[in-house]
Amino acid sequence: MLGNLFAGFYQFADVFAFLVLSAAGLAIIFGMMGVINMAHGEFVMCGVYVTAASYHAGLPLPLAQACGTAVAFLIGMVLEAVVIRPLYTRPLDSLLVTWGLSLVVTQGTLVLVGSTFPGIGTPLGGFRVGDYTFSAYRMVLFAAAIGVLGFVWFLFLRTRFGIQARAVMQNPGMAQALGVRRNRVYALSFGVGAGLAGFCGALYAPTMSLIPTMGSSFIVESFVTVVVGGSSVLLGTAPAAVALAVIRTGLNAWYGQIIGQIGLLVAVILIIRVLPDGFTGWLTRRTA
Amino acid sequence: MTTLLELQGVSRRFGGFLAVREVDLAVEAGEIHCLIGPNGAGKSTLFKLVVGRYEPSAGRIHFRGHDVTRDAPHSRVQRGMSIKMQAPSVFRALPVRQNLHIAMQHHVPPAELAREEERLLELLGLASEGARPAGELSHGQQQWLEIGMAVALKPTLLLLDEPTAGLSPEETFRTGELVQRLAAGGMTVLAVEHDMSFVKQIATRVTVLHLGQVFARGSVEEIVSDPRVAEIYLGVPHAA
Amino acid sequence: MLKLLEGPQTMGRGPAFWGAAGVVLLAALAYPMFADPYDVGNFGYFFVWIFMALGLCMMWGLCGMLSFGQTFFFGLAGYGYGVIAIDLGNGPLGTMAGLVGGLVLAAVAAAVLGYFMIYGRINGVFFGIVTLSVTLALAYFLGQTAGPEWAIGKARLNGFNGMQGMDPLTFPGPDGGIVLEETLFYYVLILGLAVAYLLLRMLANSRFGNVLVAIREDAERAELLGYDVRRYQLAVFVLGSTLAGLSGVLYTSWGQFITPSSIGLPAASMPIIWVAFSGRTDLTATLVGTFLLLLGFQSLTIYSQETALVLMGALLMATVLFVPRGFVLGIGDLLARLAMRRRREPRPAAAAEV
Repeated sequence: MLGNLFAGFYQFADVFAFLVLSAAGLAIIFGMMGVINMAHGEFVMCGVYVTAASYHAGLPLPLAQACGTAVAFLIGMVLEAVVIRPLYTRPLDSLLVTWGLSLVVTQGTLVLVGSTFPGIGTPLGGFRVGDYTFSAYRMVLFAAAIGVLGFVWFLFLRTRFGIQARAVMQNPGMAQALGVRRNRVYALSFGVGAGLAGFCGALYAPTMSLIPTMGSSFIVESFVTVVVGGSSVLLGTAPAAVALAVIRTGLNAWYGQIIGQIGLLVAVILIIRVLPDGFTGWLTRRTA
Repeated sequence: MTTLLELQGVSRRFGGFLAVREVDLAVEAGEIHCLIGPNGAGKSTLFKLVVGRYEPSAGRIHFRGHDVTRDAPHSRVQRGMSIKMQAPSVFRALPVRQNLHIAMQHHVPPAELAREEERLLELLGLASEGARPAGELSHGQQQWLEIGMAVALKPTLLLLDEPTAGLSPEETFRTGELVQRLAAGGMTVLAVEHDMSFVKQIATRVTVLHLGQVFARGSVEEIVSDPRVAEIYLGVPHAA
Repeated sequence: MLKLLEGPQTMGRGPAFWGAAGVVLLAALAYPMFADPYDVGNFGYFFVWIFMALGLCMMWGLCGMLSFGQTFFFGLAGYGYGVIAIDLGNGPLGTMAGLVGGLVLAAVAAAVLGYFMIYGRINGVFFGIVTLSVTLALAYFLGQTAGPEWAIGKARLNGFNGMQGMDPLTFPGPDGGIVLEETLFYYVLILGLAVAYLLLRMLANSRFGNVLVAIREDAERAELLGYDVRRYQLAVFVLGSTLAGLSGVLYTSWGQFITPSSIGLPAASMPIIWVAFSGRTDLTATLVGTFLLLLGFQSLTIYSQETALVLMGALLMATVLFVPRGFVLGIGDLLARLAMRRRREPRPAAAAEV
């Protein structure tokens, strides 16, 4: 009985963690700049590959994961300055440019690194509840997802950067007039978004087989979470992830993975019909 | 006289703020009705309620005998309303002539389109600008082009939201002449306006809004000579 | 009606343009007489894709709706064609029903999906990512259908390996019908493309096209001119997606197979790249540019597909950053301006130059 109950929670936590971790970076960039980073999956992939490479070079796994995150963060900062900045006023074009980039990176990795890369075994082993065995690492992922939400809360509500970022989000022109350097805020936000994508990749690196196109297995979930969530991570991504994880877990349990994936998408399309601005818009209206 | 547009007890709430409260307003066929009031009086909100950008929180709106309270903007326009928005909103990348063409293509028989475009360009003083992208016109010219687009729909009720914003006194005066010429041609006009000299020039009736409510209504002379109206504009506290 | 062939939404007018277009058409018609059948088949294959590019041009270029879902409708119609043809026993009956059925499937799917997105006020960047999500989900789903239990009637979906066993399109005729292949396929596609191009040109310059452009420029303004914006958006979305479906049917007929990889990534990026590179606001530029890119891509793919795709991605980035209107359209404008200048100054003042 306890085992079954925990199994349900475990399934939910697994899906929830995946949705939050894969969507947080995308949501921050969208919320701040109105830009959808189509190369999001490639930042995840970057996190995976750097983590795996550092791990094989002899670093302990947590340190390797920190490397994966840091590299994605730095690349994000540079990229923002080079290709995103000229397109601040053209969000659709920044979507296209990042898509071109995604194609270049995926196929370029295929050319340079080849189609496979040695993976990492899942650490920490398993634990038992009732009659079932569960992977301990999946619980680490769940904790990390909660940690990411806490980090975002802290970053945007408790730091100087957060105050400036929210000012820019509200009114870029006014914030600039008050001495906030908009470009720096955008560059950092993009970097943080990319870094969180890298962090997601770093965390999932020990659980997947490493192929250059692996980014695309993250983007559908991250896209739909952001679409349903809207522009805020805390008021949008988090509740959207809860709702979608419940839907997905239920469908998976009763009808299997394939129906789970398709059902999730149908649910998303139904939800956007009734919640035009996603959970963010709905919650903001309710509390106004 | 027939009532063209009628608002009954119309309110609009934003969260806890009542921007427009229980406004009754009737626009009679053939008049030039001006809506004035200090900043924040709820004029723009009221306009958006009339055109269907916002839905009222309470009250009903009738237009030409139909209840249009819940109708989408485009169906109100199809019933004979037409609006010129506050900031000039023309299709900036498209040529001036195509702007007019898009506005009138469903209201003018194809054979007469070219002639009608020519006539409007002339009327708006844009005869030599037909091929230029609308975004390249001066601010005043864009305002006129937008009035032209609103007029091209051959509306029974023309709604003008601050048609003189950002215009020079000379341009303002010419805009007034244009509006009067249109009204003489049988069009009813409802205009939100700040500029009192413009209101004096064109209005046949005036409604004053203050704090979201109808504060006074009457002819231009009555409103201008009403000391209470002067007070709300000048901010002199009301003698209690 | 014919007057609408020229207008504000389409580049190219007058005898010079139509003369050049006629010459190109004649050259294309004469081509099979000089080339070997393999190359003819290859060219016919390029034409397959242009319908979906033209569809994207209509909805994205004219109406501002960036759909990443062209390959979704391509795949849906392609699989639909296959399933119907196989289950009706192929031949003229099966394949003709497959053609109609595939197109109807794409149109209905576009109407349903479009309804939820457009009436749910999904637009701008979200329109792109929702359409892409749906596309990737379809590719993922079809990739999972390897087992024998995944069959519709006699048609096995076959997972990643794709569906096989459908006949090419076959017109009713003597001896079991006229099979659309090789040179005939080429001629029919040229004809179809010419008709589609001319009809779309007329549509772009019609009242409908004017409204699309108005919505692209300022949807709110268009609504206040009395246009039911969302109905127009839905209409053009269905039109553009159905054209993608036509490409899907033709592709399946051409190769007699269809796989999930023609739906997912990187296939889904291709229509966007063709149209962006060509110049999304113009049908002629899209037609010419798409053909040139397909030709170039094919030549590179022989050496390395990955490198070709890297170049395509880089091309998209370069287009957006440096020539946002599109390369082909830019060149077209340049030609038009040169022609105009020459008309204005019939003879350069040679004497004055000294």
